[in-house]
Amino acid sequence: MTTPLTLTPGRRPDGTMLLTAVGEIDMTNTEALADALDTTSGPIVLDLTGVGYLDSAGLNVLFTRADRVELVATPLLAPVLTISGLADLTTVHGL
Amino acid sequence: MFAADVEVGGDLALVDWAATPLGPPGEWPQSLQTAVSILLSSRFPMWMAWGPDLTFFCNAAYRRDTLGQKYPWALGRPASEVWAEIWNDIGPRIDAVLTTDRATWDEALLLFLERSGYAEETYHTFSYSPLRDDTGAVVGMLCVVSEETERVIGERRMATLRDLGSDPSVVRTEQEMLAFVGQQLGRNPRDLPFTLTYLFQPDGSARLAGTTGLTAAHPAAPVTLPADAADAGDALWPAAAPARGESVVVSLEGTAFTTLPAGEWPKPPTRALVVPLLQQGGDPYGFLVAGLNRYRPLDPGYRGFVELVAGHIAAGIAGARSYQAQQRRAEELAELDRAKTTFFSNISHEFRTPLTLIMGPVEDLRARFDGTDPRVREELDAIHRNGLRLGKLVNSLLDFSRIEAGRMQARYEPVDLAAVTAELASVFRSAVNKAGLAFEVDCARLDEPVHLDRGMWEKVVLNLLSNALKFTFDGSITVTTRAENDHAVITVADTGIGVSAEEMPRLFERFHRIETARARSDEGSGIGLALVKELVGLHGGTISADSTVGKGTCFTIRLPFGSEHLPADALAPAVSAAAVSATAEPYVQEALRWLPTGPSDTDPPMVPTSDDVAPHTSGPVVPARVLIADDNADMREYLTRILRGAGYRVEAVADGHEALRAVRADAPDLVVSDVMMPRLDGLSLVRELRTDARTAPVPVLLLSARAGQEASIEGLEAGADDYLVKPFAAAELLARVRANVELSHLRAHHARWRTALVDSLQEAFFVCDEDGAVIEINAAFTDILGYGPGELPYPPVHPWWPDADTDREAHQQCAEAFDRLVGEGHGRCTVPVTHRDGHRLWIDVAFNPVQDPDTGHRVIVGTFRDVTAEHYSVQRDSALAALSLRLSQATALPEALTGALSELKNLWRARQVLAAVFGHRAEPVLAAADAAPNWQELPADRREALVALCERPPLTPVTDHTSAGITVEHPDGPMALWVDLGQSRPFTDEDKLLLSLLAGHLAQGLVRVHQIDQQRETAIALQRAILGPAHLPDGFAVRYEPATPPLEVGGDWYDTVALPDGRTGIVVGDCVGRGLEAATVMGQLRSACRALLLQDASPAQTLMALDHFAAGIPGALCTTVFCGVLDQATGCLTYSSAGHPPGILAHRDGTIHLLDDGRSLPLAVRPGRPRPEAECTIPARATLLLYTDGLVERRRRPLNEGIDQAGEAVHAGRNATVDDLATQIMTRLAPENGYDDDVALLLYRHPAPLEMTFPAESSQLAPVRKALRTWLERCQMPPQTAQNVLVAVGEACANAIEHGHRHAPGDPVRLRAEASVNDVRLIVADTGRWKTPQPDANAHRGRGVTLMKAMMQQVTITSGATGTTVDMHTRIA
Repeated sequence: MTTPLTLTPGRRPDGTMLLTAVGEIDMTNTEALADALDTTSGPIVLDLTGVGYLDSAGLNVLFTRADRVELVATPLLAPVLTISGLADLTTVHGL
Repeated sequence: MFAADVEVGGDLALVDWAATPLGPPGEWPQSLQTAVSILLSSRFPMWMAWGPDLTFFCNAAYRRDTLGQKYPWALGRPASEVWAEIWNDIGPRIDAVLTTDRATWDEALLLFLERSGYAEETYHTFSYSPLRDDTGAVVGMLCVVSEETERVIGERRMATLRDLGSDPSVVRTEQEMLAFVGQQLGRNPRDLPFTLTYLFQPDGSARLAGTTGLTAAHPAAPVTLPADAADAGDALWPAAAPARGESVVVSLEGTAFTTLPAGEWPKPPTRALVVPLLQQGGDPYGFLVAGLNRYRPLDPGYRGFVELVAGHIAAGIAGARSYQAQQRRAEELAELDRAKTTFFSNISHEFRTPLTLIMGPVEDLRARFDGTDPRVREELDAIHRNGLRLGKLVNSLLDFSRIEAGRMQARYEPVDLAAVTAELASVFRSAVNKAGLAFEVDCARLDEPVHLDRGMWEKVVLNLLSNALKFTFDGSITVTTRAENDHAVITVADTGIGVSAEEMPRLFERFHRIETARARSDEGSGIGLALVKELVGLHGGTISADSTVGKGTCFTIRLPFGSEHLPADALAPAVSAAAVSATAEPYVQEALRWLPTGPSDTDPPMVPTSDDVAPHTSGPVVPARVLIADDNADMREYLTRILRGAGYRVEAVADGHEALRAVRADAPDLVVSDVMMPRLDGLSLVRELRTDARTAPVPVLLLSARAGQEASIEGLEAGADDYLVKPFAAAELLARVRANVELSHLRAHHARWRTALVDSLQEAFFVCDEDGAVIEINAAFTDILGYGPGELPYPPVHPWWPDADTDREAHQQCAEAFDRLVGEGHGRCTVPVTHRDGHRLWIDVAFNPVQDPDTGHRVIVGTFRDVTAEHYSVQRDSALAALSLRLSQATALPEALTGALSELKNLWRARQVLAAVFGHRAEPVLAAADAAPNWQELPADRREALVALCERPPLTPVTDHTSAGITVEHPDGPMALWVDLGQSRPFTDEDKLLLSLLAGHLAQGLVRVHQIDQQRETAIALQRAILGPAHLPDGFAVRYEPATPPLEVGGDWYDTVALPDGRTGIVVGDCVGRGLEAATVMGQLRSACRALLLQDASPAQTLMALDHFAAGIPGALCTTVFCGVLDQATGCLTYSSAGHPPGILAHRDGTIHLLDDGRSLPLAVRPGRPRPEAECTIPARATLLLYTDGLVERRRRPLNEGIDQAGEAVHAGRNATVDDLATQIMTRLAPENGYDDDVALLLYRHPAPLEMTFPAESSQLAPVRKALRTWLERCQMPPQTAQNVLVAVGEACANAIEHGHRHAPGDPVRLRAEASVNDVRLIVADTGRWKTPQPDANAHRGRGVTLMKAMMQQVTITSGATGTTVDMHTRIA
């Protein structure tokens, strides 16, 4: 059984690809996250505002796609993003 | 059980035990079985009594030594019946043991045993010690006994014999001697209730000479026993048997014996022993009647004692009579001598008077008839000549008698010796010339005068000249004088027939005539030379003779110059040289008569020539042995001849060395030795003899050519007994020899008596010299130590000292005792020694310094006795006591065993004492005096030895050269006990006995401790069951402190109850009172309260129901209870208090809230009255403290002060875990001397820790996170902290799943989260092993650890064989 995570693709008003995640991200569902991010090869904004938990497995997926992924997150995830150094590699909005 | 001794065991097995209070042996308690085993396996005499009747048991040694004919009758009977005759003595002692539990010790106690068919005087040294049954109660006693009858009686008899020999005076009269004997015998009324001493009279009758124990007027002690009645039936005492030298036992029946004294006994003797007083080589002197102690058998010892006493009396009589006889003989001799002297003196005077009356008229007639009738003239001349001879003889005799009587009137004047001598010689010139001999007088003038009595000197010179002329037929006679050092030397030499060597010694002997082949005359009285010698002696000079048969004889006289050697009152000034006195004439006249040309040849001799007056000496009574030492063969032969002639057995040797060897080989009665000898001279010989104890008593008579006091003093100082100056008369020698031999016999009698006495001492006796070498021992010494007199002396270190290497301590004890012996000289101590055969002994030795009367040296005299049995008895008692103490102090089995082992270790100074219990476990369990190794750590051979030991029968010791082992029944199974002595040291039979005694004691003790242990464990289990739940829900902590140890419960309690609706019931209560009584009430209330809560989860309802319940229980009234129901999810607490102190709620900000609502009366005060109920919510990370008043209530202090203090304590421990906090509170609030009331304490911190276990699968991550998130919310954790905790725990869990259980998915992973007020602690544990992080291959995993560390304040990852644990904590911001 995987941890519940809803991934909703969309576009931003500026036309950029958007993926909205709601739930928790752990090792059980990083594959789904990766798959969703990989539906496009261009820049994509990942909205983590609805994510209450992100672990290192999830971070791993994001690190490998840091050059084309921008993040939107709440302050709850800020320590994880900052400490892991992901915040330095990619743009994080909403912190 | 009876198998340990076939003989006694067999008879014990035959006893109908079922008929005794002990019942059949199969039902006997372990303790009795143990006691019987010890008894039977012991080689020491023991008996024991067990049970209400004190049923009697004994072992083989006791049977042999003490029980006698009572065996086997005594087995299984009441001890009071077995020992009925001495029950008055031993009964109270046994009672004392049974009632006071204390052992008794009696030394040499007199008991009258009836074991041989009569009441017997016996002595016993014994101890009674208590025997316990399996419960530890004293139910019997064990007696270890050594019979000392032989020793005590032997010592008593020896004391009498010693006292008999203690008479300091050597000789005394018969009467005095008998009185002394009577005194001594009277002091031993036990062995000699009465004695009578009869002496045979010349007429064959017997006279009463002494009595002890009864008066001489007693009908059993007639003053005389007539000779004719001696054998008749009516004679009171049978004198005939002792007269024949036989002993006889007499039954004391008849009227004369009805009032006999009893001595110190209850009843008088029934028999007497009549013993002869034997005389060496003669009929007995008499006999001794000894009344016999009826309580002892007349065994060889008793008979020997009486005979020794009789022997002593006989010796005393012999000594007294012999002394008397000697005294008489000496007086007779002196009388004879006086008579002889008087006779000679008288007869001389009587002769002189008629001689004078003859000679005077003859002179007249000669003058008147001169030239008339020649025939008349010749006859007158003959009368005149013979008158002169007779006068000369008479004068000589008179001189002798004067000399002997000391009445010789001498007048010593300084004289020109040469001139006087030459003048005297000239008187003889004509006679010498007439004989055709050359006469040379060579008298050169001397530088100093010589003091002479002229008259005496004339006799000396004239006698010698007359003698020379008499025996010289050709050649010459020479007279010389000259000075030689401080002496004048005069010689008169002839070329005559000479004197044979055999005769030389007797040359100067009075009345001895030399048998010669040829002489000018056979005349001679044999007194001439003897008189010469006496006269020269009076001048302080000496005379000696040299002679060769056929060559001639030379007499040499030495006279000292000066006058110091002469008596001062006899000195006179020089008178003008007087002419030769008339004395000369008879000599010349006589000499001329021998010459062929002499006036007449026809005169018949006037004096009889048979001078057969023998020297007054007689041979010895018994042939004595005399050893002669002289380098001069002639002298040896001469002495031998004289002494053999007198009846002595003689051996002659040539020097001191040979003499020494001969004396050492077989000591003679006397040694006669010359002083001057080659190799070893006489003085050295004496010294050598005196230094050796064996030869010291041999008397020595020294012979010396040196006269004078100095020489004799030197000889006597060297230790000679007598001193004789050469030349000496044979008679003088014989007299001296006889005196010395007799003296030596007298001495030897005492020496023999002393040796016999010393040898018959039961105590060992020894004498040490100043250096500590043992130089004399007795028979008992050899019996005890095995070292005999053959190897004396024994220099230190003595061979019986324990070996310094193998038994250093014992050796040291001996060394210390020896230091005292040599240093202080006196003392008493008990030391260990080693018998010659190697076994260990303990001796009690006493020693004192004594001055050796012979040598004046200080020696040490000591005695000792074998106290081995006593020593071990004391050692056993104290060892048993020490072991008992250890066992009684122990509260648990292992402690008891360890204590006992260390006791054994101390006792034997062992290197280690090990016990292996072969119980139910796979491996034997080891215990040791020190730290015990485990079984596998032991060397294989030791393990095998222990296994082998364990299979042996219990309580039977086995030993090898370095250790001893025994098997003991341990409550868990057989136990092999091994004592490692550590070095080669004897483990004696005594040690074995002690080991089995102690092991038996230990087995009983262990059973007892084990029982106590079990009871205690049961009690504790029961108490704990009463007290509270075995498992507390998480988040709770409790403490309980009973006021009355060792109880672990009291009137207070706490309880938690898991209720059906998921909530938790909490109860803390306090019954009135404390101790066991309160605890029983508490137990009922607790159970009731628990049941009520389960039925209805309302605190108020529960307490109301409990009111009714408590009303029915005595002692439950006024119990206070706090009862609450807690929802751990919400922290909501409903509670009601029955008079209980308020609960304390400590908030996380430090504020305190008291739960003082819902209060009402204590239990059962108003049953039926409704109770209020209150409610509160325990906020997150707050702590609830419930307690009983013992925690906070103190005398003279308001209760709320204590409550405040408790609140502060809770706050102070806000960061501790709830369990640590409980400990801190108990410590912090404890009064100085500990709690004096029961205290119950219950803590709850909200929320309870989260504890969950889940399978290692990634699908579990979300549910775990959810649960953790909920818990974190209950903790009211700030959101960011909560998020950090979630991430850190998530990473740890992911690691556990991904790595820890990579190969075993589904294995459990455990998570625990616990919050204190300011801190949260998280633990994730798996049972796998993590991979070393490899950031390249698993970049994100390395990232995981980094995240954990970043999120938490502290992360510790511990990886081991059993799994990996991640322990993290962080402060709550």
